[in-house]
Amino acid sequence: MSTCQHEWEMTNIQFGIIVFEKCSHCNGLRTYFSPIVVGDDYREGDCLWRVMENAQSFRFDLRCKKCNRLEKYDDIMGFMYCTGCLPDCKVEILQKKYAIKKTWVMVAFGFLTDSFPKPISPERLMILDDYFNQKRDTSRSTIKILSYDLIENFSYCKGEFIFDVGMLSLEPPTERKPLF
Amino acid sequence: MTTKELIEIVKLKPLSKFEHREINGVFVSDMLSDVMAGAQSGNLWVTVQTHKSIVPAANLVDVSAIIITSGKVIPQETVDLATKHDIAILSTEVSTFELVGKLYSLGLVSS
Repeated sequence: MSTCQHEWEMTNIQFGIIVFEKCSHCNGLRTYFSPIVVGDDYREGDCLWRVMENAQSFRFDLRCKKCNRLEKYDDIMGFMYCTGCLPDCKVEILQKKYAIKKTWVMVAFGFLTDSFPKPISPERLMILDDYFNQKRDTSRSTIKILSYDLIENFSYCKGEFIFDVGMLSLEPPTERKPLF
Repeated sequence: MTTKELIEIVKLKPLSKFEHREINGVFVSDMLSDVMAGAQSGNLWVTVQTHKSIVPAANLVDVSAIIITSGKVIPQETVDLATKHDIAILSTEVSTFELVGKLYSLGLVSS
């Protein structure tokens, strides 16, 4: 077991597009990372997949500056912040608990596939916590990253992804359309 | 330089409630993904974005303040969320170009 007191930095940063697709046949939803904007519908058996949204984003890995350990995060679609829409949701319950200690909760989201949701392991979440908190003035606040499988009901979740979508309008921002 | 000093020198308008802190550089971008990937803790973030998603992005990378340029109207929900997270939102009528020139002349550079 490593005794290194890891000091993480972002590496392998790749900018691209998170594509959200929905099937009009099975009502399924899938997401994936693409280096280019995708817009074409396509068939897959009985399914007809249609692009709902393209969001500019990035993916990354973390590397320890001391021991060179690489932790891959290419399965993470992005981060979402909880808007407290469902009081019984585990994320909202934890958010309230952590807020007392000035710890702000973010939800790490994996890509949506047929096996969705696939939890992000506690060890990998802890490494993300370490990365974001190591740079912070910890006397002010800390960050806690939760896994997206804690979300009670995706159909009702109004959490907001920290994505670049619909943000360049000169008009005042309106509520974004739900992705689920 | 602190956010308090910067507000006085550059005549920025504070919108949210926050604790002043030290500034260690400047990051200019209108893309959240760019900020999350590239901004450093303590940086000033200069942008024209006003959507409330700028607050969690700023919080995640621990910027010292968000400066919104060109006199953009900032929704109250963005300001309220920033106050909740102790994030400084400052506004100015000048353009990003002009503001960056002023920041550079003060010795603040990218980091």
